[in-house]
Amino acid sequence: MDSTLVDFVKALRTAEIKVSPAETLDAMECLDLVGITDRNFLKDSLALVLSKTPEEKEAFDACFDRFFAFESFRQIGPDGEYTHDVDEGDAEAEGEQAEGEGSQGGSGEGQGGGAGGEEASESDSNEPLDTSLDPESPLGQLLLSGSRTELVVSMAEAGRTAEVNQIVVFTQKGLYTRKIMDAMGLKGLQDEIGMLQANEREGAGQIPQNHLAKRLTKARDHLREQVRDYVEKQFFLHADESGKQLREELLKKVKLSNLEKRNFKDVQEIVFKMAKKLVAIHSKRRKTYKRGQLDVRKTLRHNMQYDGMLFDLHWKAHKVDRPKVMCICDVSGSVSNYSRFLLMFLYSLADVIPKVRSFAFSSDLGEVTSLFQNSQVEEAMARTMRDYGNGSTDYGRMFMDFKNHCMDDVDNKTTIIILGDARNNFGDPKAEILREMYDKSKRVIWLNPEPRSSWTVGDAEMGKYGPACHQAEVCNSLTHLERVVSNLLKTAT
Amino acid sequence: MTLKNADRLSSVEAIKENFESRNYICNTQIATAVFLAYHLEKPILIEGPPGVGKTELAKTCAELLELECVRLQCYEGLDESKAIYEWKYGKQLLYTQVLKETLGEILDGATGLHESVVKLHEFGDVFFSEDFLEPRPLLKALHHDEGCVLLIDEVDKSDHEFESLLLEMLSDFQLSIPEIGTVKANPNKKPLVFLTSNNTREISDALKRRCLHLYIPFPDASLERQIVQARVPEITESLRDQLVTFIQELRDMDLKKVPAISETIDWARTLILLHTESLDPELVKQTLNVILKFQEDIETAEADVQNLTNKALKQA
Repeated sequence: MDSTLVDFVKALRTAEIKVSPAETLDAMECLDLVGITDRNFLKDSLALVLSKTPEEKEAFDACFDRFFAFESFRQIGPDGEYTHDVDEGDAEAEGEQAEGEGSQGGSGEGQGGGAGGEEASESDSNEPLDTSLDPESPLGQLLLSGSRTELVVSMAEAGRTAEVNQIVVFTQKGLYTRKIMDAMGLKGLQDEIGMLQANEREGAGQIPQNHLAKRLTKARDHLREQVRDYVEKQFFLHADESGKQLREELLKKVKLSNLEKRNFKDVQEIVFKMAKKLVAIHSKRRKTYKRGQLDVRKTLRHNMQYDGMLFDLHWKAHKVDRPKVMCICDVSGSVSNYSRFLLMFLYSLADVIPKVRSFAFSSDLGEVTSLFQNSQVEEAMARTMRDYGNGSTDYGRMFMDFKNHCMDDVDNKTTIIILGDARNNFGDPKAEILREMYDKSKRVIWLNPEPRSSWTVGDAEMGKYGPACHQAEVCNSLTHLERVVSNLLKTAT
Repeated sequence: MTLKNADRLSSVEAIKENFESRNYICNTQIATAVFLAYHLEKPILIEGPPGVGKTELAKTCAELLELECVRLQCYEGLDESKAIYEWKYGKQLLYTQVLKETLGEILDGATGLHESVVKLHEFGDVFFSEDFLEPRPLLKALHHDEGCVLLIDEVDKSDHEFESLLLEMLSDFQLSIPEIGTVKANPNKKPLVFLTSNNTREISDALKRRCLHLYIPFPDASLERQIVQARVPEITESLRDQLVTFIQELRDMDLKKVPAISETIDWARTLILLHTESLDPELVKQTLNVILKFQEDIETAEADVQNLTNKALKQA
């Protein structure tokens, strides 16, 4: 059971439940205590030990049901009874198997007389087979012995030797089916069938042998089907999520302007995930101590309880401020996607940067802070686009607007982020206003989605704007965005 | 580990029954958590919306085991000296003053600084012994010879630093005090630890890893009926059903703070005090402030009271 548990933990990890080795040990201890007789009890217990947030608990439930669905049908008695309505697909394949073999092998109650209607119509229901001969290969014996339990156990073991839990992509299914079959001793069975059939062709085989060959072939086909099912299940358990991770990695690197609409939802999810990570890292409000500078007031206050004896010294400290961010986004067609995700990012970080003011422009500048605070990102973005998105870009005008309305709010704690391609349609760039912002604010960061080489080509004014920024960076993928935002939080002193 | 009355925790069913007899109605998950916490000797971290009985669980457990419940209420700025121990500085000072003369006697005959110090060393660190230690809840919990229930309430309200401070306690049931050494719990009577959190911030993974994690959601209708019945036994069945249905409907609405179980119970008591036999919209409107704690919420709910009351009357 221990190795099963480890497999289960692995499956949980692919389902994005973080389980540490220590927790796995706890789970084993818990397993010893609880036992495996009561499924729900076990499930509740493991849920307590392994999943640590409400979301994880949900994922855990699903994962537990999927992983141990297999186990539950392993417990079906070997007598081929069909009453269990476990997982349709597998149980059926499984049932068919045992049903067919069981009735032929031992009970002799007429061919295919059970509930396995599907299989009854298939082949051998019409011609009674002589069962006097036993196969020689181990797998053949196992198949015809009718013991489903043993068969499933052997399949699971073969799966383990074939390392089916390493499966990554869907196309590997055939490979692993093959590997598992091999591990179960397919070769011996094949050889036997081959030999029997060769005998038949030459006319040398006796009737029982011919029948044995037929039975073995059928059993083999069933087995293959079943192994395929098994592999498929394992794939969903182990690789479905890792495929997702692969896609996420890809989406992180892809240029945001190339994203298609259908990917937006995924990207949004990734953005939230990244934001959550950053929040976790930065939510602790740091204090920096000026070592050696005594905070007299604090020390006196704390030492009153000791009769004014100075036992407990306190040093001057100042809290690291949360950054005050002003974000100016170009929402004209070419860069709107970048703005969308930058804003999404910033507002997902509300926990650590509570003071974000955002502005959107293509020519006129407008504040959209309240819009983003009060409604969903998608909706807010759509409305921003509608209100500000049309019109040709005019950076000069934008800077004028900013100067007229917001310059007074900029102080030495403000970080200004400007996102845009700086393509000004040959208008007046008004770089002197940016210079003024540079002087007043703590930092001006310009994010440009275009590659550095085209920053000064054509109507791009980066050459003029660049020197008036503390930092000017290329930013065209989620990874870039993450880095910028992370830096923003890190250097917020 | 064998605590007093431990047989009351011998199985999940037993726990459920025993809790029920103490008017704490719980589902299987909660009982399982208590069962595991006792048998695996692990703390439980309880999360969930306010008012679903997180703190109550710990108290009931203490009552069940007939042990003392040591409670540590967390708040921002809580530190070692409030949670673990503190030196009795005053006492130390007083003693040094009083013992000045004795000190003279002890040092009598010693010549030179070196000899005096050597002589002083013979007496060890008298001033930093347990006699001068003021134990705070965590240390108290370890000192209990009979074992106890330790409730660390609202751990999410404390600082990050404090969380790390708890780790040693939670994993090994011991605390290190630099001047004295390590204080360990009696290995057979380890305290049963409950931590509660309202999820105002994420608890660190290190802490979570050391605990069983129990999430208590709002109860479903049948469980809530049982709870109301247990807590307010004088309520009539019909009123109880109406009340619970009403509350359950209210929880589906878009409210700033949805009513929790404690509010349901308060409301039930209020209605009984007013000699109510069945809900009517006018009465509900007047008593809404018992279950809803924001003016905005009350306004939102008032608009729907008629509708909700009808529904409750019909279903019950």
